[in-house]
Amino acid sequence: MSGHVSITLASERVNHSVAANNEIPRFFTPGEVVCDLHDFMRGHGTYVEDDKIKSSVAGVMQRVNKLICVHPLKSRYVGEIGDVVVGRVLEVQQKRWRIETNSRLDSILMLSAVNLPGGELRRRSAEDEMAMRQILEEGDLISAEVQSIYSDGSLALHTRSLKYGKLWQGVMVKVFPSLIARRKNHFHILPCGISVILGNNGFIWMGPQAQNLVSREKDDNLVSASENEDNYDCYKGLQTVTRSNREAIARLKNCIAALVASKMMLDVTTLIFAYEESFKYEEVKELLDPEAMLDVAFLTQHRLNTIMDE
Amino acid sequence: MPLDYRRFNGPEDSVSYKQFSTNFTRSYDELFKGLFDENGKRIDGREFTEARPLYTKTNVISQAKGSAYVELKNTKVVCSVFDPREIVGHQNEYSIYGQIYCEVKFAPFSCPRRRRGLAPDTDERALSANFKTAIQTAIQSTKFRNFQMDVFVYILEHDGACLAAAINAACLALTDAVVPMMDIFSARTAAVINNQIFVDPTEAEENLALMPTDNETNHGIITLTVIDHLRNITDLQQIGSIDADCLIKVIDILLEECAKLMPLFKDLIIDNVFEQYKEHQVYLSIKKQVNEELSNKVKEWTLIVKDK
Amino acid sequence: MAGMLLSNAERFYIWDGVEENFRSDGRSNKDYRPMELETDVVSSASGSARLRLANTDVLVCVKTEIDTPKSDKPGLGSIEFFVDCSANATPEFEGRGGEQLANRISNLLQRAYHSSQAFNLKQLCIFEGKQCWKLYVDILILECGGNLCDAVSLAVKAALFNTRIPFVKAALMDGGNIDLQLSDDPFDSKRLEVGTAPLLVTLCRMDEENIVDPTAEEETCIAVSIVVGVSGNPALYTSSEDTTPSDHKCTTISMSGNGGILPDAMKIVIAEGITAAKCLDEALGRTLLQERNRTNLQKKDSYGFLK
Repeated sequence: MSGHVSITLASERVNHSVAANNEIPRFFTPGEVVCDLHDFMRGHGTYVEDDKIKSSVAGVMQRVNKLICVHPLKSRYVGEIGDVVVGRVLEVQQKRWRIETNSRLDSILMLSAVNLPGGELRRRSAEDEMAMRQILEEGDLISAEVQSIYSDGSLALHTRSLKYGKLWQGVMVKVFPSLIARRKNHFHILPCGISVILGNNGFIWMGPQAQNLVSREKDDNLVSASENEDNYDCYKGLQTVTRSNREAIARLKNCIAALVASKMMLDVTTLIFAYEESFKYEEVKELLDPEAMLDVAFLTQHRLNTIMDE
Repeated sequence: MPLDYRRFNGPEDSVSYKQFSTNFTRSYDELFKGLFDENGKRIDGREFTEARPLYTKTNVISQAKGSAYVELKNTKVVCSVFDPREIVGHQNEYSIYGQIYCEVKFAPFSCPRRRRGLAPDTDERALSANFKTAIQTAIQSTKFRNFQMDVFVYILEHDGACLAAAINAACLALTDAVVPMMDIFSARTAAVINNQIFVDPTEAEENLALMPTDNETNHGIITLTVIDHLRNITDLQQIGSIDADCLIKVIDILLEECAKLMPLFKDLIIDNVFEQYKEHQVYLSIKKQVNEELSNKVKEWTLIVKDK
Repeated sequence: MAGMLLSNAERFYIWDGVEENFRSDGRSNKDYRPMELETDVVSSASGSARLRLANTDVLVCVKTEIDTPKSDKPGLGSIEFFVDCSANATPEFEGRGGEQLANRISNLLQRAYHSSQAFNLKQLCIFEGKQCWKLYVDILILECGGNLCDAVSLAVKAALFNTRIPFVKAALMDGGNIDLQLSDDPFDSKRLEVGTAPLLVTLCRMDEENIVDPTAEEETCIAVSIVVGVSGNPALYTSSEDTTPSDHKCTTISMSGNGGILPDAMKIVIAEGITAAKCLDEALGRTLLQERNRTNLQKKDSYGFLK
């Protein structure tokens, strides 16, 4: 048994900034005048005073036609209809679940917005209401889509598609929502055989692909814990993740941490690049070292730049 | 914890008169020698690995659901267990486990060296926490979901090994209160002074075990709690400075000593059940008698009514 | 920490990982996460240190004051620990929320530092029976990301290592009172001998494995954890060669959580705790000496303590 301990001095702290070759955008501080009111409309992160649009947060300005917004780095998630999110069940309520999605208010998943186990299509009965904990209970992770936005700004989710629903074994990482690049597809299966969900809300889920599982020995308490589950789900959820998958997930997790430390935008390309570059470090745990993190981020940025140039 | 603010607690800087006695100013070596008699045994005639005789009595506090009194010569402890009650304060937060609230309290006059204050001090809070760790594993807390059960320990006299005595008392009090438990448990304390192990130490031995010295020998106090059938250690508390070999030796000795207590506890518990059974039988017979008398009376009256 | 929700599947994932000796961030069961240390961060304290272990962030400051020694220990100074779980760490600590945790940690430290072999209080004596130094060790928990005990004990040792006590230039006996004259020069001061000061190692029992340095997620999957306090080796904390190395001894053991552990497993836990503490002690000693050598050469730059 040999434990690995490393203590570094603050004076040797690594500066995580990776210089991107694109220009540094203009930053606005709260109260700073962004522009005149009569040409533009005010959006998120701004307010109007003396016929001027002023920034109310520190961040970068974004203009969509005539709409002016200021986006901070650390904001909570502002939902949009159609976004893919990863969330955690906080509470089982009457006919609905309360879901934590990193937005300003907790999101709601109605019982009528989920697929019933077995894929039955029917009106939800009182029995279904009683059995809600068997579908999702407190602490469960789900992937879902934003169906609509209530007037108070809280999100209504739905999981009415086979790609959404409960998430099983794997790891969730929380990052700033603004670091997730909006793409057409947020569900990916990486070449290493790991399925990744880049939730728009900044929650990233990584888990093994279903077919890569080997069956777990029959274990009494595991079966009893999920005896009410749908058979397929039970099979899928409770098998041991293979060592290779586990290593790949851990490596990805550390890569994401490295990219986030350097404030790089996350999408599937950067993730794959970082994953490939990280093989410079043989052991996954070496990636916890701040210098290795910077190195991975730097190499990834470099590779992105070369692609951009071409 | 509510404090008694109205009571005047007296100046904090008063000291025990014993500090001016010759006994007090003796050096470490003198004190160490004072632990033995001329035969090389401990001053109260025990062997080093011999524990003090244990006296117990259950059902000593009539208003508690269950209670026990444990005496190790001059260490005297009362433990009482009260009915579960609904947890107040936590709104809406349903818990599938019941909670156990433990409080260990020294009587103001319990310690030979100084008077204890009435407000719970850090010692007592730490003791309560350790006590809770030791007993909670054995209790099936899923049987009283969302409820809180109170276990109170009052140390009447402290002459060493009070945590162990409290835990033993708790075991008996919990069984007396018919709290659902996985198993019974027992605890023992040992002190290490100058590499010598003293099982079930007295207060004088404990004091010396924690006294600062210049020599590099092992010293300290260890308290171990074991649950019976599973042979699991549910609590191990150590303080002092002891190397690994010595520690393992002490753990082995304490395990053995704890195991010795189990049959005694079982006997006592069975006796109690038997006693209760007998009481119940007596109650039943009295009830039967009363019923017979009543029915006789009813018959008499019906006859009288008919006669009229 | 309480209040952290995890789904059953995530728990299984963590449990299986521990069984495979490959945890969710790639560490083995006996690996610590990288730590960052900085000493002398608070100018108004006699000694201070800040340690960051992943998301756990603690700041420890030592204040020295003059006190009269207790009548039963005339030749000894005293040391006291106060833990403040600030509401900055989690909103749960607001009000009296963090009190229990704070009590637990300060109590653990007090017990670990109790033995004279762990921390010699004689060095705090000024004038036997009359005056001594009293060390107030204030521990501020800024962020809470798992494995608080270990991080706190490391930071405490670093802060004590950094502590300077002014030399007493002269003591005038005036009747029964003593008039002390202390040197005003901040560099005319002595350092404490802290080589033997104990470090706490939390070992968490999962199935048949023991893990060190649990993350906040892992802490929610644990039934029993055992804290082992192990005294340090003074040879690691001086650059001179003449200090005799001493063995690592257990200065405190404490269990917490709802569950039991088999006696044989307990012995393994103790042995592993001592080994882990040895590794920690070596790394801490190396880092502290490195920093001291560097500050001797040039003026120290200060770095902010929160990233």
